[in-house]
Amino acid sequence: MTKNKVQRIVAIVLVAVAVVMAVVGGIHLPQRSGEKATAIIEELRIRTLLDVTGVGLVDTYVEIAREEAMAKGKAEGLSLKERKVKAEEAMAETRAKYESEGVEPQADTAILLPVVAEYAAQLEVYYDLKTAAEEAYVEAHMAEAEAAAEAERQAKIDAGQEVGEEKPVTVDMSGFVATPEMEAALASADESFVAVGEALMQIYPALDDSALKTLKPTITNVVLQQGEGFTQLYDRYMAAGSGEALTNPVNAWLIRYADDLLYGTAALIVLALIVLFYETLCKKLGIPRIVLGVFFIMLCFMCLWFDLSLPSLLSNTLVRMGMNAVMVLAMVPGIQCGISLNLGLPIGLVAGLIGGLCTIEWGIPGVWGFIVAIAVGCLIAAVCGWLYALLLNRLKGEEMSVTTYVGFSIVSLMCIAWLVLPFNSLKLRWPMGTGLRNTIGLDSTNFKHILDDFLAFEIGDFTIPTGLLLFMALMCFLMWLFTRSKTGVAMSAVGNNPRFAEATGINVDKMRIIGTVLSTVLGAIGILVYSQSYGFMQLYTAPRQMGFIAASAILIGGASTSRCKISHVIIGTFLFQGVLTLGMPVANVLVPGSTISETLRILISNGIILYALTKSGGESRA
Amino acid sequence: MSAEYVLEMRNITKNYGENTVLSDVTLQVRPGEIHALLGENGAGKSTLMNVLFGMPVIHATGGFGGEVLLDGEATHITSPHDAMTKGIGMVHQEFMLLPGFTVTENIKLNREVTRRNPVSRLLGRNMETLDMGAMSSAARKALDSVGMSIDEYTRVEGMPVGYMQFVEIAREIDKTGIKLLVFDEPTAVLTESEAQQLIRVMKAIAESGIAIIFITHRLDEVMEAADSITILRDGKLVTRLDKEKTSIVELAEQMIGRKGEAMVSVEPRAVPQDEVALSVRDLYVNMSGEEVRGVSFDVFKGEILGIGGLAGQGKLGIPNGVMSLYASSGEVEIFGETLQLGNAAAALKAGIAMVSEDRKGVGLLLDQSIEDNIAFTAMQVKGEYLTKIGPIKLKNSGAIRHQAERMIKELDIRCFGPTQHSGTLSGGNQQKVCIARALTMKPRFLFVSEPTRGIDIGAKKLVLETLVKLNREMGMTIVMVSSELQELRSICDRIMIVSEGKLVDILPPDASDADFGLAMSGIKPDEHK
Repeated sequence: MTKNKVQRIVAIVLVAVAVVMAVVGGIHLPQRSGEKATAIIEELRIRTLLDVTGVGLVDTYVEIAREEAMAKGKAEGLSLKERKVKAEEAMAETRAKYESEGVEPQADTAILLPVVAEYAAQLEVYYDLKTAAEEAYVEAHMAEAEAAAEAERQAKIDAGQEVGEEKPVTVDMSGFVATPEMEAALASADESFVAVGEALMQIYPALDDSALKTLKPTITNVVLQQGEGFTQLYDRYMAAGSGEALTNPVNAWLIRYADDLLYGTAALIVLALIVLFYETLCKKLGIPRIVLGVFFIMLCFMCLWFDLSLPSLLSNTLVRMGMNAVMVLAMVPGIQCGISLNLGLPIGLVAGLIGGLCTIEWGIPGVWGFIVAIAVGCLIAAVCGWLYALLLNRLKGEEMSVTTYVGFSIVSLMCIAWLVLPFNSLKLRWPMGTGLRNTIGLDSTNFKHILDDFLAFEIGDFTIPTGLLLFMALMCFLMWLFTRSKTGVAMSAVGNNPRFAEATGINVDKMRIIGTVLSTVLGAIGILVYSQSYGFMQLYTAPRQMGFIAASAILIGGASTSRCKISHVIIGTFLFQGVLTLGMPVANVLVPGSTISETLRILISNGIILYALTKSGGESRA
Repeated sequence: MSAEYVLEMRNITKNYGENTVLSDVTLQVRPGEIHALLGENGAGKSTLMNVLFGMPVIHATGGFGGEVLLDGEATHITSPHDAMTKGIGMVHQEFMLLPGFTVTENIKLNREVTRRNPVSRLLGRNMETLDMGAMSSAARKALDSVGMSIDEYTRVEGMPVGYMQFVEIAREIDKTGIKLLVFDEPTAVLTESEAQQLIRVMKAIAESGIAIIFITHRLDEVMEAADSITILRDGKLVTRLDKEKTSIVELAEQMIGRKGEAMVSVEPRAVPQDEVALSVRDLYVNMSGEEVRGVSFDVFKGEILGIGGLAGQGKLGIPNGVMSLYASSGEVEIFGETLQLGNAAAALKAGIAMVSEDRKGVGLLLDQSIEDNIAFTAMQVKGEYLTKIGPIKLKNSGAIRHQAERMIKELDIRCFGPTQHSGTLSGGNQQKVCIARALTMKPRFLFVSEPTRGIDIGAKKLVLETLVKLNREMGMTIVMVSSELQELRSICDRIMIVSEGKLVDILPPDASDADFGLAMSGIKPDEHK
């Protein structure tokens, strides 16, 4: 059997399974809002209610047994210790008896249906009213709370204390009073509960008023279904362990997981397509991008499966892509001019950070602050990049190690510099002693989210950071224009084949300087874009790893150490950040207890990168 | 032990894949004689020696046919080490010496004289102490026998190259039981007096009974030193001669010969000599392995001038020097204007284009598309194929595509389209891309260096025809450098032969084989006659 045939057969089997899943899922999904779903939920609710009441009853009986035993012991004149032992025995006996026999309902449970439904409706009315009233209260008192928070913050700044991260303003709810409507609704709900209680007593004759009173909050909790949909209710009741009693559990399960079946269908079809067009894809994209792409798609489906909010995660991915893209773009001129991966990127990052610090020091707010930060950062980056390029020109052929060492050295050097640089703003300095803070929080008076929020809009959970993406696109476009300019063409020839360039009379050293300076300047802009989106500027050792992250991203995008395109930047940043963003919550669900998920994340992401690099094939000459 | 020949290689045949590099070659060397092995580049001398030394490259490519006899007995030499133990030594063209070691250490390397000591009794031979005294005296003896007065404890580093050559010889002589020594172009790096001394040493060694195979291209040295001569050409044995019965002219003639039919035939014409296009005076080029040491010549407008010579003699240095790809000095005038050397862009701007012999190293951007390769030089040097938007100059993709498509059609470049990467093309098509790039410059003067190296026969023909067409139809002055004399003779108006970095003579294409052979070994034919 040829390989081709196997591929086709596997694809057909996958598609067949997918079709079955799609049909089943498609049939059951609309039933969620139908009568069947309502019936299932009601059945589950009654069942849970009965279980809860039953369990409550057992507890009541056990309590009665204990009291009886104690009283009996006292009558027999036993010591307190002996009495306790007797009571324990009696309790265990009673519990065993009821649990083995079960607390059987004594009447038809159907009488519960209408009264529970009525109670549920009443409760819903009450909670709707409550929510509305609370919202109105918050709205009315918001301005007040904000002013108070701002005053407190200002006082702290004036006193020279650390301000810390900005917290969302909360309204003090202690002044909230229930409205008359609410009280009326609560009263009528209580009235309808009486009916429920009567019905329950009919079913469980052993249930008395005091027991019912104890069970009321539990029952209310079971019955209440404020705004919850089918899936949440189903999960809740199933978690309470009422599933066995369902008349048609398979049907209920299918309705519950109909959407996951549809996701599974899509996943299988994607898989089938990959199997079918494996060779073509390999040739076009290369194995690393396929592996990462499939991993990313897998993560997407896992997010859906675990009912994580995929749109908000994807929107996060988009933000992180925009944040990092300019730094990744900084790799492009480096690779094209022949210095390979510019792992000395921290030079540019540090320059950008200094630019950012300057605007805070000078107190330039908003857009102008950001522009000035970029201008100052670029200026410093250009000078440093030029010196760095002179160094690289003297050490041709050793770029990889030189850039790495320069990157590390500059970060360490700046660790000293951050302590002695003459910045005076209290926002930047430690309140006591000298030196700049580790993390400098940006806020509305600086350039926090200046790009993220520009023209940003939401589609459901999916927020589009328009400004950020536009800026990224602009930088990419400018870079693309540069690669098409006479200088850009000459520069890429230098990177591609220095002897060829020399034979054409191109000044190789000059081109390498241009490329290095450009890369450093882009690094400076990149860190500012990153910081404004992140909301903090991180000094000291934070920039150390960023060069490597940017390098990994562009390699994943399909670049090699000697050639790259703008598309590699975009694809690489998206895949890299996408895998990181989606990987974390999925790992958290898979392995709850956060530290392992963090480890797993690093393992998965770096492992994938390593794998991608060992397999760096693909259409490298495309 | 009284076999007639110390070494006899009978009917040696060697194929590399489908390529026959040696066919039915026989080599016989008597004890105590100096036997010269002659041939042009690629005649099969090196391969024959590789067979003799049992080099891994031979075994890895399927071995060879024929047999090797040492002292009349069939032997199978499995490795260079095996050859050494059987008494065959080699004096390499590139010195195989460790620069940081002394002369003695180099001579005795891996054959050290050692004494046992307590540690070596425990840990074996590798821990024995070096007997420096014994080693020095043995080295001294070997050095004396090659007539070298240098101290045996001097470091090799910093020695004149001639001395290194003698150290290498001394090392071979020091080996016990040596029967046969191979000298691979030993005089190439030596001065005249050193060469004379070497020949004296060789004769002395031969008299002591050791046979010598002397590989060289200097015919006068052959006549001076050798007792007998074997000439190879195109992997075939041409003849075996005794020195007494031959002459230098015969050697030259046999070495060159007529190789096959001309691929391109050009009608003979009078050499145009009205106007000088390129005038070169005292050109020195520092191109490693192809140094040019003071060459002066004129190229006339409208002619095709060929530059020939053996490999490593400096013929490649001439175009590379004029184009300033390597450090060069001298006076160069192009169409009457002085050309400043040391500036690659100046030569290109002056209207000279070059197709480099180093296609992959200098000639192409392998990772870029055909169209970008073709337009690159014109764009960078002449500012063509650019669109100006204010101060920004962007490349004009449309114009580039147009030019690339024209060139692909004209030169018949076999490709999927102008966006295919040049690295994925075959050698012949890559060469055509190089030519297309040169032509896109619209040059007045074209250097083509080894245009047919490593490309298939069809592409060769097309390349040569293109050159003729450019010359005849567009009046382009062309200088073509090639190792293939036949090629030069088929299309050139005049052929300049270079030897040891100097111009030997300029010959008409119909000059005799003997004249070319003499010129290639550095002897001006007229003077010899």
